[in-house]
Amino acid sequence: MFGYLVGRLSQAVVVVFVMSVIVFVGVYAIGNPIDVMIDPGATAEIRENLIRQYGLDQPLWRQYFTFVGNVFQGDLGRSMVYNISVTSLVFSRLPATLELVLVSVTIAAVIGIPAGLYAGYRPNSIAAKLIMALSVLGFSVPTFWIGMLLIMAFAVELGWLPSGGRGEVGNFLWFQTSLATTNGWSHVILPAINLSLFKLGLLIRLTRAGMVEAMGAEYVRFARAQGLPDRQIVFSHILRNISIPVVTVFGLELGSTLAFAVVTETVFNWPGIGKLIIDSILQLDRPVMVSYLVMVVILFVIINLTVDLIYARLDPRVRLKGGS
Amino acid sequence: MLKTTLRSGVAVLAVLAAAPMALSQDLSLGLRAGPDSIDPHWSTLGSQAEALRHVFDTLVDVDETLQLMPGLAVSWTAIDDTTWEFKMREGVRFHDGTDFDAEDVKFSIERIPVVTGPMPMTLYTKYVDSVEVVDPTTLRIKTKGMAPSLPNDFTRLFVVPSETGMDARNEEFNSGAKAIGTGPYTFISWVPKGDLVLKRFDGYWGGAPAWENVTRKEIPDDAARVAALKSGQVDMINYVPATDYLSMKNDSSLDTFVSDSVYILNIAPSVKDVEPQPIKVNGVEVDGNPLQDLRVRKALDLAINRDVLVNVVLEGLGTPANQLMPAGFFGFSADLPAAPYDIEQAKALLTEAGYPDGFEIDFTCTNNRVPGDAVVCEALAQMWSRLGLKVNAQALNGTVYFPAAAREEFTMTMSAWGTLTGEAAYTYGALVHTKDPEKGFGNFNRSGYSNAEFDRVFGEGSQTLDPEARRKLYEQASVIAMEDRALIPTVVLQSVWASKAGMLNLTPRIDQETRAYAITPK
Repeated sequence: MFGYLVGRLSQAVVVVFVMSVIVFVGVYAIGNPIDVMIDPGATAEIRENLIRQYGLDQPLWRQYFTFVGNVFQGDLGRSMVYNISVTSLVFSRLPATLELVLVSVTIAAVIGIPAGLYAGYRPNSIAAKLIMALSVLGFSVPTFWIGMLLIMAFAVELGWLPSGGRGEVGNFLWFQTSLATTNGWSHVILPAINLSLFKLGLLIRLTRAGMVEAMGAEYVRFARAQGLPDRQIVFSHILRNISIPVVTVFGLELGSTLAFAVVTETVFNWPGIGKLIIDSILQLDRPVMVSYLVMVVILFVIINLTVDLIYARLDPRVRLKGGS
Repeated sequence: MLKTTLRSGVAVLAVLAAAPMALSQDLSLGLRAGPDSIDPHWSTLGSQAEALRHVFDTLVDVDETLQLMPGLAVSWTAIDDTTWEFKMREGVRFHDGTDFDAEDVKFSIERIPVVTGPMPMTLYTKYVDSVEVVDPTTLRIKTKGMAPSLPNDFTRLFVVPSETGMDARNEEFNSGAKAIGTGPYTFISWVPKGDLVLKRFDGYWGGAPAWENVTRKEIPDDAARVAALKSGQVDMINYVPATDYLSMKNDSSLDTFVSDSVYILNIAPSVKDVEPQPIKVNGVEVDGNPLQDLRVRKALDLAINRDVLVNVVLEGLGTPANQLMPAGFFGFSADLPAAPYDIEQAKALLTEAGYPDGFEIDFTCTNNRVPGDAVVCEALAQMWSRLGLKVNAQALNGTVYFPAAAREEFTMTMSAWGTLTGEAAYTYGALVHTKDPEKGFGNFNRSGYSNAEFDRVFGEGSQTLDPEARRKLYEQASVIAMEDRALIPTVVLQSVWASKAGMLNLTPRIDQETRAYAITPK
């Protein structure tokens, strides 16, 4: 177990390193951020001074090593646009995204898994066909369009919910979160539904496929022959067996939602990190782009590791071996 | 009986529901862009100045058409070729109660080079050589050479108290600790890309503004901003997208306000000896650069149907442009005729220049900088194809476009240019003057254009302190640049605000700023 962790972590270090090089070179190739930011009236002298001040006149490899050196000292750099540290910038936006993602994956899991189980359990019933039809809609209709429809219906026409933004922030234990206030919930519910639809569709289809396959498997027939009630067969035997693909996809989706909930955040004007990174790309705010993407890589590595650990819990046949 | 009771009950309810609206002291604005910092000396960004104007005052202010008017300085005069004297307004207090005087202005000017960022405000102090406080209400500025446009530069000179200290940086301003100005509103809170919350400053020298609480919400997405207005989350929005304008104009529950902007979409044809992207006839690269021929540039101009651009492509949200600045700006020439559309004459000119069958040319534009840039780009390509050209139009994201444009990789481009200061020196010095890094001219002249006659007239103007004489010279420069088609202006873009019907008064500004203190309840 310990050896396994060490192996995985050293893999992670390599991934983060390779990623940082790719990102750095890619961002460098786009061009000089000063040319995007600078005011048209600036003199050439002002421009030269700035380029020197931000170290942009240095060769690529030197800029990269300066960056890496600072990272090792715990300094991810300062945003060129806001002049505040990238870490505090990202962490000021992170709670908003975490809230949104938490609510949306909960919606997806709480509705998606039971619906998928039912659709696989009674595949020929009308309800199952309806569920499957809806699941197709869930991941084939573009997110921004559904977001617009939700806003038009619930905010503009009915006036029940606000059209966007994050609500009042309250205290929950030692966190500050908008999930602690009613006003906060009224703001989060539409974007969370919007964000959950794709995952909902995916979870329904995955669970159903697993269920259908398992229903014909020998262990199920054997359990039936023993006279076990269906409830017990589905929840204690089948669910456990079909959990592995569900957990894998769920983990990956969780990661990508955390990092790139851009579309929903934009449509609902949600002050999360997805919007931050898009704005940074548009303004060529290099320190934010590079550091953020490196943080995302670390996030994915952690999620994948957690997923692997959960595998071992779910399926006793999975052995965690060092280094592999 | 019962009916009347019910009816009056409903009436009471209606009054109750309406009452908070009528008495409301709160104004909520949905804006496309907000500040990047609360430090007023951090960046030259327009949305930054617009937001911070509520908290801090500038030494010189500008009216709705960008012409100068008194701000913290009540008057200014050039006392010799290199000295400007500013008289300070008396009886002005900062939000913390300290008095404003000339020392604060001196400190602010000296603070700029220490703290400014990658969009440097040193731009506005580049002519300042030294600052002398004569007495608390008199400030003298020694300039590096003659600087007729110094008062224009000081329209962006925000004044902070001299007690701020040189060590204060963005964090101290963002937290509110140092966000102390003389402006009509005091700072309550701000988060990057989020809401800027302000409260009325009762001691404001210009008279307390109408709204007690103002929230400036940053909502960059066009559709989200429109939805916020329609759902009643905000009272007013700026930059109404062109696609929604007509339906909002016809919606009786909304008011719309339209104004010209400072932005003009200009075409810049490269006139270098070797054009960056080859121009071809029948797939073969031509000798020399056809764009160097004035007849070719005139043909390109004549083939543009500006009425179609305005009325069809931009759905009415624009006005045809015949020079590089909107009407009324300092240096705008009334002598220049409206740009005509004459495809026959254009074809004749092209034939005369030796290209009867046209040529193949690359044309690159921005697609996200201003509303309408991408669609105008496509429309221009079509208009030139009627002239017989084969135009490879490409609309790029600003992130990609600007660095490549700075490297001068394009043969012909179109992008928006805003005469942000309301006077010609800003635009002509950067765009039209021969490139001269030593003197700081032609920094955005990417086409290699150079006209000795223009440079001479413009140079004379920039060394003339008398405003009327200077205006004449700049007007002459406008005529020279346009007759030579140094750049080809197409349309002045317009901008739209929208609010709930019958609620607010707003005089739209040409610089597109949304100033909460200039909005009044109806």
